[in-house]
Amino acid sequence: MNSVFKIFTGLFAVVAMSSCSKFLDVNKNPNAPVNENLPLSAKLPAALVSSVNQEAGQLNQLGAFWAGYWGTTSEGVNLFFKEKNYDGPAIRHQRDGIPVWENAYATLLYYQLIREQAEKENALFYAGAAKIMQGWHFLRLVDVYNNLPFDDALQGTVHPRPRYEDGKTVYAKSVDLITAGINDIKNALPGTEAKADDILFNGNRTSWARFGNTVKLRALVRQSEAGDAAYITAEIAKITAEGSGFLAAGEHADVNPGYLVSAGKMNPFWETYYRNVQGAATGNLLDLRPTQYAVDQYISRNDPRLPQLYVAVGGSYKGVLFGNPNAEEQYNRANTSAFKGPQENGNQPAAVFKSQVQAAMLMGAFESLFLQAEAAQRGWLPGASAQLLYEEAIRESFTYMGVNTALFAAYNSQPAVDFAQAANKVARIAEQKWLALNSISGIEAWAEYRRLGVPAIPNSLDAPTPDARPLRLMYPETERQSNGEEAAKQGSDNITTAPVWWDK
Amino acid sequence: MIKKLHGICLLLLTVETAQAQQGPSINTDTLPAVRNLNEVVVTGALGIKRSAREVGAAAQLVGNEELNQGKVVNPIFGLTSKVAGLRINMYDSKVDPQVKIVMRGSRSLNRGKNEPIYVVDGVPVPDINRLNPNDIESITVLKGANAAALYGSEGVNGALMITTRSGQKGRTVVKFSNTTTFSQVYLLPPAQTRYGQGTEGVYAPTMYESWGPLFDGSTRDLGGVLPDGTQPTQTYAATSKDNRLNLFQTGITQQNDLSFSGGDNKSTYFLSLQHAAIKGIIPEDASRRTGARFNGSRRFGKLNTSYNINYIYFNRNTTPDGPWITAYQLPANFDYPAMKDWENPNSAANPLYFFTDQMKNPYFQIDNTRDRLAQQTLNGKVELDYQVTDWFKAIYRLGLYSVSEETRSTAGKFEAPGRRNVVGTVSDGSNNFRRVNGDLILSFNKDFGKFSTRLVLGQNFRADYTKVSAVGAGNLTLPGLFNPGSRVGELNGSAGITEYRSVAGYGELTAGYNNFLFLTLTGRNDVVSVLSPENRSYFYPGVSASFVFHDVITALKHSRALSFGKVFASWNKTGNVTLDPYNLNNAYSQVNGFPFGNMVGFTPSAEYPNPNIQPEFVTSYEAGLQLSFLNNRLHFEGSYAYSDSKGQIFKANTSRAIGYSTAVVNAGRLTNNVIELSLSADVIRDRGRDIRWNIGGAFTHINNRVQELYEGLEQFPIFRQSYAVKGSAYPALLVSDYKRDPQGRVVVNATTGDPVQATAQSHLGTMVPPYQMGLHTMFSYKGISLRAQFDSRLGGWLYSEIAPRMFTAGTHPWTDDYDRQPFVFPNSVIEVSEGKYEPNTSKLTSSGGKSFWQQQGSVQYNTAAKSDFFKLRELAINYSLPASLLRRQQLVKDVNIGLVGTNLFIIRHKDNIYGDPEYLYNNTDGYLSFRQVPPYRTYGFNINVTF
Repeated sequence: MNSVFKIFTGLFAVVAMSSCSKFLDVNKNPNAPVNENLPLSAKLPAALVSSVNQEAGQLNQLGAFWAGYWGTTSEGVNLFFKEKNYDGPAIRHQRDGIPVWENAYATLLYYQLIREQAEKENALFYAGAAKIMQGWHFLRLVDVYNNLPFDDALQGTVHPRPRYEDGKTVYAKSVDLITAGINDIKNALPGTEAKADDILFNGNRTSWARFGNTVKLRALVRQSEAGDAAYITAEIAKITAEGSGFLAAGEHADVNPGYLVSAGKMNPFWETYYRNVQGAATGNLLDLRPTQYAVDQYISRNDPRLPQLYVAVGGSYKGVLFGNPNAEEQYNRANTSAFKGPQENGNQPAAVFKSQVQAAMLMGAFESLFLQAEAAQRGWLPGASAQLLYEEAIRESFTYMGVNTALFAAYNSQPAVDFAQAANKVARIAEQKWLALNSISGIEAWAEYRRLGVPAIPNSLDAPTPDARPLRLMYPETERQSNGEEAAKQGSDNITTAPVWWDK
Repeated sequence: MIKKLHGICLLLLTVETAQAQQGPSINTDTLPAVRNLNEVVVTGALGIKRSAREVGAAAQLVGNEELNQGKVVNPIFGLTSKVAGLRINMYDSKVDPQVKIVMRGSRSLNRGKNEPIYVVDGVPVPDINRLNPNDIESITVLKGANAAALYGSEGVNGALMITTRSGQKGRTVVKFSNTTTFSQVYLLPPAQTRYGQGTEGVYAPTMYESWGPLFDGSTRDLGGVLPDGTQPTQTYAATSKDNRLNLFQTGITQQNDLSFSGGDNKSTYFLSLQHAAIKGIIPEDASRRTGARFNGSRRFGKLNTSYNINYIYFNRNTTPDGPWITAYQLPANFDYPAMKDWENPNSAANPLYFFTDQMKNPYFQIDNTRDRLAQQTLNGKVELDYQVTDWFKAIYRLGLYSVSEETRSTAGKFEAPGRRNVVGTVSDGSNNFRRVNGDLILSFNKDFGKFSTRLVLGQNFRADYTKVSAVGAGNLTLPGLFNPGSRVGELNGSAGITEYRSVAGYGELTAGYNNFLFLTLTGRNDVVSVLSPENRSYFYPGVSASFVFHDVITALKHSRALSFGKVFASWNKTGNVTLDPYNLNNAYSQVNGFPFGNMVGFTPSAEYPNPNIQPEFVTSYEAGLQLSFLNNRLHFEGSYAYSDSKGQIFKANTSRAIGYSTAVVNAGRLTNNVIELSLSADVIRDRGRDIRWNIGGAFTHINNRVQELYEGLEQFPIFRQSYAVKGSAYPALLVSDYKRDPQGRVVVNATTGDPVQATAQSHLGTMVPPYQMGLHTMFSYKGISLRAQFDSRLGGWLYSEIAPRMFTAGTHPWTDDYDRQPFVFPNSVIEVSEGKYEPNTSKLTSSGGKSFWQQQGSVQYNTAAKSDFFKLRELAINYSLPASLLRRQQLVKDVNIGLVGTNLFIIRHKDNIYGDPEYLYNNTDGYLSFRQVPPYRTYGFNINVTF
């Protein structure tokens, strides 16, 4: 019986399987390429866009609220509620929260895969660019979350529950990663550079090196209140020895993949905060307003950037109070200054809204100059003049915001601007940097406010207590769910009481 | 491969479609469940009639009458609560409601892969939602994994074996029936009715959130000034009845069926036509299904040929989920009827002047945003059946299942400033699916004295092909013209092809002794396309046995009490591959606007691929007992089943820090201990006086446990608040909660008076009720019959994501409990020192307004509840015209009229104010979403005429 069975089943198997292998070979994805199909040049642009989208979108917005730039109209009193009342659990929420962590690690993976492929193909330029950008994101993540996975991160299921490292260590490792990236870029064989696909620097090695150095400088300046001097000195020495310097005037780290005037393909900052493809105002343009504090800062300095930034209402500029829970008529849309763009500016580019296809800003040259000014003021850059760098930085901001630089001299001569007359020079630099980063690098301005407490931004009127300020974000719900033990080991992640390591 | 097949000697079971010998008729004798089990014959998939005596696994038959008692449109709903171990959830009361069906608990952590296999007339099909329930002769529910051997791996979750009607020799029957039912929305989450629109207790004419002052009956401005200079106003008072009900209408479902059947010595014939039209409870929502079936057969000597063809045209026109989500958040005085006139340029209903620009007029949403679907399903089979000798038969069966869909989603262009602007969009989709399934079956039957044997050998192939494509435009130039040709900007488009194929060889050997002892062995080897060549072939065996004892054991043989007794048991280990095609590699795609002209940019998916995925295996066994007493007036069936699934293929959610959000893994182990009991009794059975009263019930307890998880994790998330937790039932509801003292009192912050959130989540329980009960009763007296089906599910939890939005919008009933003033948080304590708590009697919360209540809404514990319920699922009253009345004419043989209702009452756990506890969302039980159309109840009438 049993043998009959075997014969039959064997026979069936033969019939069934003779052509079976070919019949079954249909598992090659006909719809999408896989890793091996794609050259590095098809991956780098997507990673860079992903980086700048987070920086100029999600992070800029959050920072713009918490750095005192933005508030909402009375009609929008219920909008951005979790940002206004520093609702940490709502912000970390998986569905309705702000996925800074999730987006950053996803982008970090894009660079990780580029790095792995580049190392295999000995394409050092790409490997270097990927390392520098990874350094950028890790630094940013520490600014927002403090301790987090670095060594264990980005390796798929090799480390399914990645170990956290403290913020300071991640900072140092990120700086080293950028250093390694700069070396790779410089060591890339001629002809192996990225070309047009490098939508950040178009394959320019020097720009990449300068960018890397500037990001490192930012990381070092950030630890001015917490770091150890010897470490900073040693790292500055490495930058000096490298020799490329920092991003110079006109040398913005901005990204333009070739934006088009078509829905979903325009500069996302424009499309999100200004107007859609038809020219209709977005909800953000209707309900986001400068804070009265921000407007006052420009007014008190007779700042020519103000009319480039905002639309006057009845001949003057009027802001709102951040977190104001009351829908007061004086803060209605019609009574407050909206952002200005070409449509309100005689079709000329305005300060931050220039055109649908403008480049998206990762890091402005003006920020580089302000960083150098502070480093010089702290004596970290021997031979550099803090004042000259400070003035060049303001001029650079004027240029970027479309202000005639001829106005600079008069502006600079005011006691509230003049570097020489400043009692606290670091604070003076910080004030001007704050004025320059408005609506461009909100996240950076918030970090700098946490570091120096400059300028004196009024608290949200909806803050849980009058002196509670947002110091960080809580670890996201996704992380609590999937790596909760590690997250719990880091101690309190309370949004208003647990500062990041450099915030002392 | 062949080596693996050597193991194929086991096999087994088979019940497929059991069918009562009496055949279907309107005669009440065939009504539920009490049958003479000595005589029951099951029709195997192979067309071989066999006695139910030899079936070694739990199976339950639901006949046409029972299935259609509630006059359902989708046949699956006709099974709800009628079969022990089978859980059916309807979710979303759209005009095309969705259904989820799970047998004997979840076997897979892959939440979309717990569905049983559907086999229609011997051919596995992807679903039966569109099948005309009147065409169904019977559905046999095979609860165990045994069906997998004959129909493939999906049978690991059980099988629904559908036999469609066929003509009968010599009897020509023409039937017509009409059913009309009305549906009405119920169980809306309640809203507060004391406070209206505004902020911080102050009225605001353009604010939609209900954080304004108390309603006072005054007349207040609403929104801005209209073009004709008038300022719209409203009465600032809640309407006397729930104003949200205005948004919903009474739905109407109409079904008309016509069927013809007949046959002669060589041929059978069955033709049916059906038209079912549903008008939804949301205005303008509608669906329509028109179908025809033609089943026939003809015999040519030793060759029997048969064919089934079923064609179904279905269309659907709905609005997406905006209108009712808006309704949950609008104030209690919102005047719905006044908002219908949105096209009037001088109306506050006009989207240009609607009072807020943060919400859209629900009627404008309904009119302006539409999703349309037109779907054609063609399902059929051809079967050739050749009797080679009296002991050997060969069968070839080829089935086709094809669905083609055209979809169109549109939003009308509405030019307006800011948020009021609606960009005109269109997306045209085309989705095609076809499955070809072929089986070659050789069947051998031989008796040796008291031994009977049957051997079945089969070979199967399956090829599934899916192609989807869509084109669209994100910015149309003209308001009423929905064609991507008249657009600004770039054309959107996508396309995808998916292929799945498998081949298999299988066998089944049944041996019987003296018609009371049976043993069946099964084995199958599948080779599937979705795994790597090294892993894609797998073998799985099974064995089952049954022993009919009542006429063997002498003491019982002539017992009047016991009329039937059988014990059965089975064991099997079933392989399964739940992976979709192309999941062994990480696919890249272009997002974030790419490509920009010539600039391409590819990013990987967030899923960590694993090229070495293996098949998963479920080991299960069961044992059961069937007893009939008192001349078959009382029937009892009980069974115990156990399943253990290991090495499951699923997408584990991972820490995002690994770079991916999910990873495809072979991990995790789930076990189920299932007890099923069913009982049916004719309490009264008096043929003389034509009275019968039958009651019965089905009880199921499923003890489901997660035994192991990925990488030694103690828990991980499945979907939002739903988790797999080691040592607990799956899925588990884990929610954020307040910090509590050891007595469970809420800890408040000593400074602010606000409750403190705990850092750890609270595990409330399982989201699938472990206890399920169905009760039915049928009473008939002469031509009148009354049938009721009750349903209860206990022991589960649910979570509502509607409630948090209602807290934010100030419409949640809790938000007015303390008159919007700070209050002492009830039953709260203050932590005076580490671990030491004192009752809080005086410290007020920081606020009683939005900032406070929104935070409470984000504490998920507050929006969870027990999902226990007891409902009257179906009630039907029928009356057959007495034969005496019809005697004088030849045309009409039988007339039956009836009333039918569903969900006529429900008792829910007191904490569940959120909705229908059996609703689910995204394959997640116990999850109520604001995207679901709220539930409804139905009532109506039907008439059946047989010619």
